[in-house]
Parts: sequence; C-alpha cells; structure tokens
Amino acid sequence: MPNSFVMLDIKTHGINAELQLPLSELQLAFGHDVTQNSGTLVARLSPELRAYLLAHIHAVSADGRAWTVTVRDLKVQPVEQSASGPYQELTARLWLQAPVGVSTKDFTLNYDVIIHQLVTHKALVAIRQDWEKGVYSEQPEEVGVIRLDIPTGTILPLHINQSGGSMWRGFKSMVSLGMQHIAEGTDHLLFLLVLLLPAPLLVKEKRWGAFGGTQYSIIRLLKVVTAFTVGHSITLFAGASGWLRLPGQPVEVLIALSILVSAIHALRPVFSGKEGYIAAGFGLIHGMAFASTLANLDLDTTRMGLSILGFNIGIELMQLFVIAITAPWLILLSRTSTYPYVRIIGAFWAAIAALAWVIQRVSDKTNFITDLVQQLMKYAPWMIVLLGIAAIVSFSWERYSRKQGLNRL
Amino acid sequence: MLIIGIPTLLIFACSKKDSTDTTTTTTTTDTTTSTSDCSSAANTPAKVVCLAEAFEATLTSTQLSTLVVDFSQTNAVKWSNLPCGSSCRNGLQMANLTTAQVTAALAVVAAATGTVTDEGYSEIKQIMAADDVLNATAGGTTYSSGIYFIAFLGTPSTTGTWMLQFGGHHLAVNITYKAGAVIGATPRFEGIEPKSWVTSGTTYAPLAGEQAGMLAMLSSLSTSQLASAKLSATFSDVLLGPNEDGQFPSSKQGLAVSSLTSAQQLLVLAAMKPWVEDVDDSTAATLLATYKNELSSTYIAYSGNATLATNADYVRIDGPSVWIEFVCQTGVVYPSQIHYHSIWRDHTRDYGNSFTF
Repeated sequence: MPNSFVMLDIKTHGINAELQLPLSELQLAFGHDVTQNSGTLVARLSPELRAYLLAHIHAVSADGRAWTVTVRDLKVQPVEQSASGPYQELTARLWLQAPVGVSTKDFTLNYDVIIHQLVTHKALVAIRQDWEKGVYSEQPEEVGVIRLDIPTGTILPLHINQSGGSMWRGFKSMVSLGMQHIAEGTDHLLFLLVLLLPAPLLVKEKRWGAFGGTQYSIIRLLKVVTAFTVGHSITLFAGASGWLRLPGQPVEVLIALSILVSAIHALRPVFSGKEGYIAAGFGLIHGMAFASTLANLDLDTTRMGLSILGFNIGIELMQLFVIAITAPWLILLSRTSTYPYVRIIGAFWAAIAALAWVIQRVSDKTNFITDLVQQLMKYAPWMIVLLGIAAIVSFSWERYSRKQGLNRL
Repeated sequence: MLIIGIPTLLIFACSKKDSTDTTTTTTTTDTTTSTSDCSSAANTPAKVVCLAEAFEATLTSTQLSTLVVDFSQTNAVKWSNLPCGSSCRNGLQMANLTTAQVTAALAVVAAATGTVTDEGYSEIKQIMAADDVLNATAGGTTYSSGIYFIAFLGTPSTTGTWMLQFGGHHLAVNITYKAGAVIGATPRFEGIEPKSWVTSGTTYAPLAGEQAGMLAMLSSLSTSQLASAKLSATFSDVLLGPNEDGQFPSSKQGLAVSSLTSAQQLLVLAAMKPWVEDVDDSTAATLLATYKNELSSTYIAYSGNATLATNADYVRIDGPSVWIEFVCQTGVVYPSQIHYHSIWRDHTRDYGNSFTF
C-alpha cells in the first residue's frame, strides 16, 4: 500500500509543506468516497479536506509555542511509479508559520493525517529545501517516518532539528549548483562552443578565412565569453529577484534557436565583428533560463542575493573550465588545413541538435536526436581528448610536411 | 560416490514425491537412493538437513556462497511480501538455477513444509504459480514463479542452529532449526493475487481455506460478541509485516476467546490451522497443541466487515504465542477484485527466539 510523503521547504519565517496523500489510503481514513470521481474531488470537498488537514497537522516550537498552519492549495494527480502500481494522490500545499522570533530549524511535527484511523499507513517526511544546509528539490533528505508505534498503539510526534547549516554552506552549494547547471546543460555548453568555433579565424570575402593569430584569437574568445557573461548576469539577476518573469517554454525555444544561429554563423560569417553584441543578446536569453532555477527556490532577499552571486560564480567557473580545455585545441587546429572540416562538421552537428531541440521544446516531446545528444554527452570528455589528439596530430603533420617541403627546395 | 550420484537421483526422488505410488521405485533401487532422497532420515529436521546437503552438492562454489549466509539478525529479517526480487531477499533465485538444481532446492522446501492440500508445500507451489498468472496479465518482469529465492542462514546441520528461507512475491517462509528440531516456524507471510484462478480446467484458490476459517470464526459470533471484537482502527495491510519484528501490541485487543462457547473456541482453533499446517506436519501438530492450550488467553479481533470480502476487511488472532493477521486488499493487477495478505507470527518463537528486537 502506498505511503504518504511530506516534503518540507524550510524558509526563514516558516515552512512550505507539500503533502502527497494516496487517495486509496485517504479514503479509508477520511471517507467521502474520495476515490470515486477523483477528478472533481477538490471542487467537491475542498472545505472538508482543508478542515481535515488542519485538524491533523500541528507544529510546535521548542518553547512549546504553536505554529500557524494554513492550507494553500489542493490538487489531485496521478503517480505512475510505485511498488504497488500506479495510483492517484492528493497533493496539498501548506504553509507552517513559525511564531515571531522562533527558529524554523528546530520544531516538533504532530502529524497523523490518514494514520489516526488507518494504522497501517506511514508518512515519509523529507526536507526538500534547506538553503543553509545546501538541500534542494533534486534530492530531498529523508528525516523520519511518522507511523503507529505498534507496541504502545500511539503515533509519536516527529522532532525535526536542521541546525548545523550556515550562510557559507548555502553559498558554496549555490556555486556548485551553478557549475552543475552548465556541466549538465548540454544546450548552454553547445552554444558556447559553437560560438567559439570561428573565433580564431579572419573573415575574407564574406567567408571564414585563415587563422588570425593567437592574440587575435584570445581577444575574440574573451570578448565573446565576457559579453555572454554580462548578458546572462543581467537577466539572471532580474529574473531571480522577480523583476522579470518569462514563461519557460519560449525561453527554452529561444535558447535552441540561439544555437542554430551560432551554428550558421560558424558556417558563414553572418554577424562578423558583432559577435560581442550577439553573445550578449543570447546571454540575456540564457540568463532567463538560469534565473528560473533560482526563482523556483523562492528565497528571501538575502539568500536570493547570495544565491545569484554563488550561482553565477559557479556558471563562470564551469564556463572558464570548458573554454580552458577546448580553446587551446581550437586555436591549434585553426592553424591547419583540417580546421574547415572540423568547423563545418561541428557546426552542422550543432545545427541539427538545435533544430531537434526546437522541435522538442515546441512539441514538448523528446525525439530520437535529442535522446542521442543526451547519450553522446556522456562521452564529452573523450570527445575533448579526441579533439586534442586531432589538433596535435594535424598540427605536427603539417609542420613536418612543410619542413620536408622546405628541405626539398 | 554419493555426491556424484545426487543430481540424477534427486530428479528421481522428486518425481517420486509427486506421484501417488512410490513402492515400485523404492523396491528396485539400492541403498544410495534411499540415502539421496533422505527417506532414511531419523525425523523431518534431519531429512531437511540431508536434502539441504544434497542441494548444496549440486551447486558451484559461487552459488554456494550466495546460498549459505550468516545466521544473523540482519539476514534473518531480510524477507518481504513485495515483488522486490533479490533487493529484499537472501539466497539463490530459482530462475538462475538448472532444472536439477531447482528440483533439489524445492525438495528441501517440500520436506520442511506441510503435506495438507492447499497448505504447506502445495500452497507454496500455488502462490508461485499465481505470479505466472499475474505475469500473463500484467506483463513485464515483476512477476514470475522464477523470482523466488532460497537461502540457508548458517550451515544446515542436526546439531547447530540454522534457518531455511524461501520466498518471493506474497511468500516468506522462515523456519529455524536448532539441534535437529524446529524452534521457529515463523514469521510466515502468505498472500495471493488473484485469490482464485483456473488453469487447464483446475481451479486454484490456495488461501480460500484461510479466508473460510476466519469467516466461520467471525460468523459464529453474536451481535454483542462482534461488537467487542471490532477494532476502531482501519487496516489496509497486516500490521506486523516485514521489518516489524517483535513489534507486537503490548496489550491484546478485541474479544477474549475465554468468553466464547466451546464450539466457538474450536472454530478459533480451526481458523489458525491453515497457517500452522504450513510447517511440517509434526511441528504443526506440536504448535497447534500449544496454541490450543493457550486459547483461554487468546483474543480475536476484526476491522471493516466481518464478511472478509472487501478492501480493508481485517481479522486477527492474538494469543500468548500465536499471532495471525489476515486482510483483504484491493488488487494491484486486478484492481476490481480484492486479494489477500496474511502473516503468521509467534510471540516467543519467531526466528526461534534467537534475536532481540
């Protein structure tokens, strides 16, 4: 029989609690035929459900003062994966307001939803967010199980003590969240790499020409990267602090389009000399996607400020790392006659991936190319090794051939 | 000589077991056969050890190290009613064994369990077969009669302490032996979905006897007796399933058997029988006698409907020793039907009382 889940987001002044209650089990404790016509359950029984939840959830501070509990919203949704097959659950979002001046890190949860009647039921309690301890939604931290203590026939309250976190720990985990975001964000990485692909080259008659020199390359690289950073920092800040809120889907589609445009540019210079502006413009778009990660955390001003800073530093560190391990090979390769092939193949590949992403993000369905890209990303480190070998081999070979040619003269 | 002869002889021994007449085969075989089918063993525990050793002889050393694990609390409590495969169980999976090895493994289980139809070994085979029925309906790789596991906790012997575990979805057999005697026939989980099915014209309903016994017991109660037996709490599963070892309620709930007529008391004893008869016949007789002697301090209770026919209908027998729970649950693969879960525990004999919980 499925368990209940209680997910807690620990905030400064209170706690967001999300209750996931299997309807079949709720039925046995609450009645009202909740499993029948579950689609209209909330519309039908909202006041009764709210009153029921409030009667069975209480939080108390260490000093014995009661918290204020309010039910924010109720929703019925299906759960597909479980040991006992798919089932329907009621998702209830509650706000537990701590008394003024009381820490939200140390309290006792008196909870017996369903269990008060259905004694074989269990509620698994997890911390889904605790900024100071670096806990986010991806991996909730289980803190206890509320259930009947069979020998005594009582339901024991759950004491939750989350002390031990700190601002520094929260900030550090934001830096790693930023790094992880880039490392796992195939689209951001690809965008950056495609933009860097023609950076070492000169434009000649509206086509990509020869290598423009190491200094030229580095300056152009820096320009692109700095512009991108400035762009995404602006929207990350604006978005995360709530000044700017755009729906996720169009932003994601725009990101895919930005890769397509960069790929075309890598084939033929379409905005040559204006790479900085383009990178900054696209940075604005990517920043909005970064912002949604932070905005979803719903933090107060101080924590949000630190999060934006930490997250951005993480993004920057990861970007620099990726550039540091790829740019030298690109610069080396761009001196050889192999480079046009590398550039064209790379750009085509990126264009195809970008188109696949556009389709995926418009239709909301993955396709075989997006799946393939996801699979290939596992081999990204090996691709960079391959790029390095290719660069060294073709550079040395051409140098050797040139020397041979000179010797023959 | 014995070891080499075992694999072939065991097939012989098993086919013999399934047939009704064994005289012709036994008379024509030499003493080696009687040794390998272990029929010359002094008693059931000795026969189980003999067959366990015969099974071990069919295994590779790698298989042997998976089969035989420590007799520890951690290993003892590692069983489940869920289709969670090897993640929640010890030992070797039937599907990974050769036909001869499976035969030898099941011979151990058969010897350790009861011979009454629809109880003991007969019931085990049907619970396993039900998983194939589920698989035919649900597909996938969750259910199969091949996903059942055998493990020995400690080395089988007639002198030391060891435990036989056999189980899979809806089944957990845990029998503890010490110095050549059964010291614990529990915990024993049994459940069934579908609760009844037909294969090749034969109807299978291995837990029908359990339901009928409990139903007869509850049906004999008067209105006021039913009221005292009724629990206010609701149960959607057994209370003392896997990982609830030693968690017996500190006070007994429901209706005291001592307040019942002797006819009603016999129905209580009869209701226990389908569980107790799951262990070998001689141990079952001993335990039943104990449980009978303790009837005056035993309680019965139910929740939901006393008809034991809908989701969360629940019944319990709780004595100084015996603990049996039976519950009706909405089906997982057949959600329009109910299916059964049940557990037999013993307050003082689970795992042979070898551990403290």
